[in-house]
Amino acid sequence: MSEIFQQLSTIIIEGDEEKAPELVQKALDEGLAPIEILDKGLLPGMNEVSARFEQEEMFVPEVLLAAKAMHDGLQVLRPHLVETGAKPTGKIVLGTVKGDIHDIGKNLVGMMCEGAGFEVINLGFDVDPEKFVAAVKENQPDIVGMSAMLTTTMIAMGYTIKALKEAGLRDTVKIMIGGSPVDSEIAERIGADGYAYNSPTAVELAKRLVGAT
Amino acid sequence: MRTNYQINSGVRFNMLSTDQLQALYDGVLHVLEYTGLDVYHDEARDILQKAGAWVDDIRVRIPSYLVRRSLDMAPRSFTIFARDGNPKHDIHIGPGMAYFGPGPTPPNFIDIETLERRPFVRSDARIVAKVVDALPNIDFCESLGTISDVHVDLAASYEFAEMFPNTSKPIVAWSYGWDDSEDIHKIAVAEAGGQQAFEKRPNYVHYCEPLSPLVSTFEAVDKLIFASRNRVPLIFTPCPLAGGTAPMSAAGIIIQAAAESWLGCVLSQVIQPGLPFFMGGVLSVMDMSAMILSYGAPELSLMMAGVTELAHFAGIPLWQTGGCTDSKTLDEQASIEGSLSCFFSALTEGDLCHDVGYTESGMTGSILQTAMMDEAIGYSRRITRGIEVNEDTLATEVIHRVGPNGHYLYDKHTRGHFKTEYWYPNLCDRRSFEEWEKRGSTKMRDRVIARVQDIVATHQPSPVNPETEKTIKQVLEAAEDRVKNK
Repeated sequence: MSEIFQQLSTIIIEGDEEKAPELVQKALDEGLAPIEILDKGLLPGMNEVSARFEQEEMFVPEVLLAAKAMHDGLQVLRPHLVETGAKPTGKIVLGTVKGDIHDIGKNLVGMMCEGAGFEVINLGFDVDPEKFVAAVKENQPDIVGMSAMLTTTMIAMGYTIKALKEAGLRDTVKIMIGGSPVDSEIAERIGADGYAYNSPTAVELAKRLVGAT
Repeated sequence: MRTNYQINSGVRFNMLSTDQLQALYDGVLHVLEYTGLDVYHDEARDILQKAGAWVDDIRVRIPSYLVRRSLDMAPRSFTIFARDGNPKHDIHIGPGMAYFGPGPTPPNFIDIETLERRPFVRSDARIVAKVVDALPNIDFCESLGTISDVHVDLAASYEFAEMFPNTSKPIVAWSYGWDDSEDIHKIAVAEAGGQQAFEKRPNYVHYCEPLSPLVSTFEAVDKLIFASRNRVPLIFTPCPLAGGTAPMSAAGIIIQAAAESWLGCVLSQVIQPGLPFFMGGVLSVMDMSAMILSYGAPELSLMMAGVTELAHFAGIPLWQTGGCTDSKTLDEQASIEGSLSCFFSALTEGDLCHDVGYTESGMTGSILQTAMMDEAIGYSRRITRGIEVNEDTLATEVIHRVGPNGHYLYDKHTRGHFKTEYWYPNLCDRRSFEEWEKRGSTKMRDRVIARVQDIVATHQPSPVNPETEKTIKQVLEAAEDRVKNK
């Protein structure tokens, strides 16, 4: 029993995207509770990945692979989680802001948040303020995450927040931002609720924003 | 199939032309044949005379054929072995290889806790060996000091006894004379499993230092004879100062240093044909204002590059110098002087590069400087490793696979190469400002100190055999007995 949880964790840490869905399916077939597969198998693996990344024992290409394995495992697990009524940690709408096509870091944050039990709606890149507003209306997320790679595009974050305010939606969500030209000071200045400098801290921040820690 | 395809995998560095090197080489032969050196050792003069040298009182002149023959007999490539059989700690001397380590005998040491300068003590030798053992880019060990808290004649014996169990990286051992050379050799031979086993896999190198200009002192030559008879790989390295004990010109000091060192080569090859021999020495300038031997001067790196090329031209390895500084503390000067000389030394492929951790013009040893230079050496080695060009690294397939507007982070080619293609720093900080701040806003200096303290607290070198432990105890007891009335 505990052996299969251990295997699930290991497969996430090793980033084995082929075996992850297979092993999740096997655990389900053995009659394990979906929520236990997540909490005792997949999540501890992802937490270990975050810890190793922080300790500089794992690097971005390896974390990406782990996140992909997590993602693929969750694809199998999610319908069963929903069936049993397990709630996600929170819901995040995520996108790279208007004029900016850089999305490696944002995708990594998305996958890591997913790995931490969030439901992530990834809007992609070059997302204009109107599209963010529409996505918030449609999905009613807990958090809106915005990313920008360029100093020339980070101003679009401010415009997006302004658009959310005008639509009367600002107070329904928490806003987090990230990307190389951004820091906490900018987050404060444009009226965001938080900033994270890498993907593990983004996960921590997201958890904090929804009161999950 | 490629034919006659030329590969330049590393970074190539050349300073002197073949004609210039031939001129230097001929200059050394000229000095040895026509000027000669004073050799303060009766037996050594006898040995040299029998081999064909001309002896007139203490002056020894060596005909060029004898020098050339000796240089030919000394090997260009050989191995110094780790005492514990760990192949990662072996040193393979040969073209294209550059190894690094600390230096011998400064009187002072920077305390790793108080960070103050004080006399070097017995426990420092242990600390240095342990840190050397742990640092990935430091390849051999010397103590960085002369032990001040034991009988004055036994400093070298105690130093080796402290270092040997605390690192399995090969040690370069200095000594005062025959007796302490014997102490050191007994310990090394005990671990190797006897003299014959030692000769097959030598686990330390012996260091001797003649005097400039053109003097072979009794002690230097006596130690050379000891090492040669016991087949211990040998360094014979003078320390001439341009403008003081050697000509002011770089070519002139190179010729004189080579003449001083090559006398040792001839003597060692006559006694023990084929003995691994490292040409010296430390070539630098006497600062005409401070009157010190500068360890941070650009001329040191330049002249060391010249003497390295001459050694390789003559077909023998060199005892290089780098990673040292005239600064009194772990500061920006120490970093600039140390790093540039490490990089230059790596470029020259000088075989064993010592004095990594010398500060204050060789007056104070600092293992903190050594640890900071470990980073500079790693950095340098990434550059000298060069660019690999083959089907896999050309990556045209990968470029095609990812295509316009894609990214490489997720590609298996990236995953296959990112750990080996990049060098990752241990001490240099590349974090974002916020992350750096979160981790304590440390300066390089803080991180160096923390790393050294951490290694000393946690690193476990592989132990010596229990028999060797006993030998070390016996050797030190006998040594104390030897000096008890002195």
